Amino acid sequence: MSEFSLQQALNLALRHACEDDDRVLIFGEDVGRLGGVFRVTDGLQAKFGEQRVFDTPLAESGIMGMAVGLAMAGWRPVPEIQFDGFSYPAVDQIVNQVARMHYRSRGTLPMPITLRLPSFGGIRAPEHHSESMEALFAHVPGLKVVSPSSPAEGYHLLRQSIADPDPVIFMEPKSRYWQRESFDPDAPAEQLPVGTSRIVRPGKHATLIAWGAMVSRCLQVAELAAEDGVELEVLDLRWLKPIDADGLAESVSRTRRAVVVHEAPLTAGLGAEVSTVVTERCFDTLRAPVQRVTGFDVPYPSGALEDEYLPSIDRILTAVQTTLEYRRG
Amino acid sequence: MAEVTVPLPDLGEGLIGAKVLEWLVAEGDWVERNTPLVEVETTKSAVELPSPQSGRVTRLHVEADEELAVGEPLVTFTVDDDQAGIVGTVPAEKKPSRRVRLSLPED
Repeated sequence: MSEFSLQQALNLALRHACEDDDRVLIFGEDVGRLGGVFRVTDGLQAKFGEQRVFDTPLAESGIMGMAVGLAMAGWRPVPEIQFDGFSYPAVDQIVNQVARMHYRSRGTLPMPITLRLPSFGGIRAPEHHSESMEALFAHVPGLKVVSPSSPAEGYHLLRQSIADPDPVIFMEPKSRYWQRESFDPDAPAEQLPVGTSRIVRPGKHATLIAWGAMVSRCLQVAELAAEDGVELEVLDLRWLKPIDADGLAESVSRTRRAVVVHEAPLTAGLGAEVSTVVTERCFDTLRAPVQRVTGFDVPYPSGALEDEYLPSIDRILTAVQTTLEYRRG
Repeated sequence: MAEVTVPLPDLGEGLIGAKVLEWLVAEGDWVERNTPLVEVETTKSAVELPSPQSGRVTRLHVEADEELAVGEPLVTFTVDDDQAGIVGTVPAEKKPSRRVRLSLPED
């Protein structure tokens, strides 16, 4: 057992993926010589050489276009787009090429691409560095979307994403890069299938559903709720496409109340999809409408205001209380 | 601890290299961001370069009077792992606080 931060766990996952499969290639802006702006690719170019770990021009569309060509030629590209907000110039390649090539080619040209995308807010960064794009990518047929909530999760989900035959958008929660956790990356881990969620804290009065950095926020809320005698279950959705409908239904059918928490704006956010899945599966057992605690329908604010924007402990507690107080009829 | 190596930045005006006139820090020094790091001379002028970040200087890659090209390693810092990010700041871990209390329904 060793202690790893998320950035170190991801670095190790990339290292092991490169060792296990000669076809794995890592590229993006500053991932080579610099080792990434968050040190996630630190030391990889020195170890695996400039042919396998290399810097690209500052052109995200080109990064993803290169990934498409390399995947067609039989490689396993693991490109990085340095920040969420800079993936917009690459959306054409991601939506029109990466997501469709396997389908378009009648299965002859798979796209085993893992796009590493440092995502979400919480680090007082400038504009374009704090976006939550899961709903946009989850809406595109052909893409899988995942976000780890901890170092051990980061290690195993990144290995799983790189090994997966389909394109995966791997959303790394920037605000969780530095927190540490002990785990043994070499120990055989339970291999949960793609699209499986995980209960990180059991409870019986309501289920908090979250992913990425909001999982730790929900764990804080559950801790505080326990002081009031309220036992909250925390479900880490992990995969945002495909969504674990069975896992959601299993939890909410027991707790009979659900609150979805995400950083992205409310309207047409992934919380709407989760809420619908829960409602479809648990309509008869739900004691209250599913609540959503999210960012607001505004551009992500500057660092000085982000604590007002991100779901706060009190906003989540208020939503929980709404479900506790709700009466039908 | 992590190491961060800072290369000679592009000094503009199409210049491709510079000569180190004088180091303003020494190996082992702790420097803050924007502390004057080194004075270099290009074919145009002599300029002081501010440090792009804080950290402990572990290695000066060139000596005074030596030349280096833009992009070549200039100085290496040792920084805490949690300060190795370049954009934004590491969120402080603070004790969660609350105002809202919960109450279970009667039934």
